[in-house]
Amino acid sequence: MTIGLRLFISSATFGIVIAIAYWSTSREIIGTFMLGIMAFGLSFIAGYMIVAEREADLIGDKKEATMADGAGEIAGTYTIRSPLPLGTAAAVTCVFLGLVISPTIAILGVLATLAFGALLIVQSR
Amino acid sequence: MSATALRIPHEEPERRDLLSWITTTDHKRIGILYLLTSLGYFGVAGALSLVIRTQLSRPNNTLVSAHEYAQLFTLHGTAMIFLFVAPFAFGLGNFLIPLQIGAADMAFPRLNATSYWLFLFGGLTVFLGAATSEGAAASGWVAYPPLSEIRVSTGLGQDLWIVGVFLVSVATIVTSINFVTTVFIYRAPGMTMWRIPIFTWEMVATSLLVFMAFPSLAATLLLLFVDRRLGGHAFDPAFGGSPVLWDHLFWFFGHPEVYVMILPYFGVISEIIPVFSRKPIFGYTGLVLAAFAIAGLSMGVWAHHMFTTGVVNNPFFSFVSFLIAVPTGVKFFNWIATMWRGSISFETPMLFAIGFLLNFLIGGITGVMIASPPIDYQAHDSYFVVAHFHYVLGGGSLFAIFAAMFFWWPKMFGVKLDETLGKWCFWLLFIGFNVTFLPMHFMGVLGMPRRVVTYNAGGPLPILNLIATCGSYVMFVGVALFAYNAIISARSRIPVGSDPWRANSLEWWTTSPPPEHNFDSLPPIRSERPVYDARVRAK
Repeated sequence: MTIGLRLFISSATFGIVIAIAYWSTSREIIGTFMLGIMAFGLSFIAGYMIVAEREADLIGDKKEATMADGAGEIAGTYTIRSPLPLGTAAAVTCVFLGLVISPTIAILGVLATLAFGALLIVQSR
Repeated sequence: MSATALRIPHEEPERRDLLSWITTTDHKRIGILYLLTSLGYFGVAGALSLVIRTQLSRPNNTLVSAHEYAQLFTLHGTAMIFLFVAPFAFGLGNFLIPLQIGAADMAFPRLNATSYWLFLFGGLTVFLGAATSEGAAASGWVAYPPLSEIRVSTGLGQDLWIVGVFLVSVATIVTSINFVTTVFIYRAPGMTMWRIPIFTWEMVATSLLVFMAFPSLAATLLLLFVDRRLGGHAFDPAFGGSPVLWDHLFWFFGHPEVYVMILPYFGVISEIIPVFSRKPIFGYTGLVLAAFAIAGLSMGVWAHHMFTTGVVNNPFFSFVSFLIAVPTGVKFFNWIATMWRGSISFETPMLFAIGFLLNFLIGGITGVMIASPPIDYQAHDSYFVVAHFHYVLGGGSLFAIFAAMFFWWPKMFGVKLDETLGKWCFWLLFIGFNVTFLPMHFMGVLGMPRRVVTYNAGGPLPILNLIATCGSYVMFVGVALFAYNAIISARSRIPVGSDPWRANSLEWWTTSPPPEHNFDSLPPIRSERPVYDARVRAK
């Protein structure tokens, strides 16, 4: 079991324990609900990691691994520059700013977000 | 990891023009952008605090009106918490995590860049409120309803505050996902989890805390926005809502946020102290486990901010708050044990690290005091609390931030900051900080409430306030000296080599500054100090 998985299982267990302890001592709904949501979210991640770990074979987890063990086929290169993050963030900001200032800005923001999102997907392939 | 990989095309020459910075997805540049942006917000927040302190320098002062004062402390708190202390840690994380684990970049480089821009735009949106007709938000950084509701805060400033902080919270969550994925998946061969540096561990704990706490903030802000703009009544008791609901939801985020602002700096201190004590860190495993214990327990203490509401389970929250002192104490003793019988040298990063220990100790002790409901009933909403959290976040986090800047500046920019100016900077900040905030404990005990625009003459409050204001000016000189130091170091262009401090972790293996692809080669990684091991082998 990897350390990452142990981390999320421990956190989820802690979340469940503290949610139960809080409800038992306080009978207070809001806090119990928040702790419950937190425990559920952590359990979900832990569950996902249990499934995902079946195929995990991380070179970083091997104590005696060398750099040569990590080398292999180069699948391609990725650019270290892209205008899309700036564009996407600006578009998302426009969506929320538009909700305060003007619906037109919000609509333009939604359209721009969709456009930048599509470009990101295309660029990722 | 499979034997296939995506590689950065490092045969391309490195570009330094403005466009290359705007379009970068390189984690180091994004880290530096985060650091510079958060320092910019720190400059604005610091300037606002000087106006606040000048207003309070004498009784019945009329430098600013009550409404202007409310805007000042709202923007000051918002900028310091949401736009400086936490984002600076995320900037450090961006720069350091891939270097410390031997990776070429973050797991999701474009998402990483998107997070940065969201953070920048979110911060600007918060300040945009100051340009509206009724001014910026004025309900404090905690935005308690009904103060933040539309019937009290009628202007656009509060709406822009909500949108701005929401964007920053989304950016923070996304960056945390990136950190955790990078650390779990992209470690270099041999870099097992129990060999990653403490700073990276602390960032993992911080990210976990962000997963648990920040969704609550985002949801709460949306609820407030619905209340204000769409006629909702979530926090309006006249329609079945409850302001206490805000308290619960906000502090479910708000107290863990304190640890989001301090855990990364525990990591900074844990990196610096061993280097300048010439010893391995004492109790590596204990420090890591303590970080996760603090992160976990911090999720169960939110209502200690609500002791005086009378509607929460005070003994439960008091008990869990006291418990946090245990893992924090473990860390403190580990740092001291690391220094014990070490060959300590007092370069500027170490001075700031020791300053951190002294200030944070005071902030920690007063934190334990107000974790006790009877004392909290006396100190609540007084300057005692202001002193407490400034000792934690100013004396703690801010001193660690300066320690980090002096320590990693050579790695980021390839030049060292001037040591003499650095020591002056430390002493001005250390003295200025304590002169500013130590008297606030006494003001609080004397009953001075926080967030008041002025106070009456008579009694010891005027002289205590004047002393505090003088201290804040001394701090300003210290910060200005740092800015001057940064400028002259940029002009000096004296290269420092890859490892000017004879440090331990992997970032010191590569050149200063590192190339775009981070490493031309890596040493064998057989402990948490691979660079130290390589030095020993070379001898």
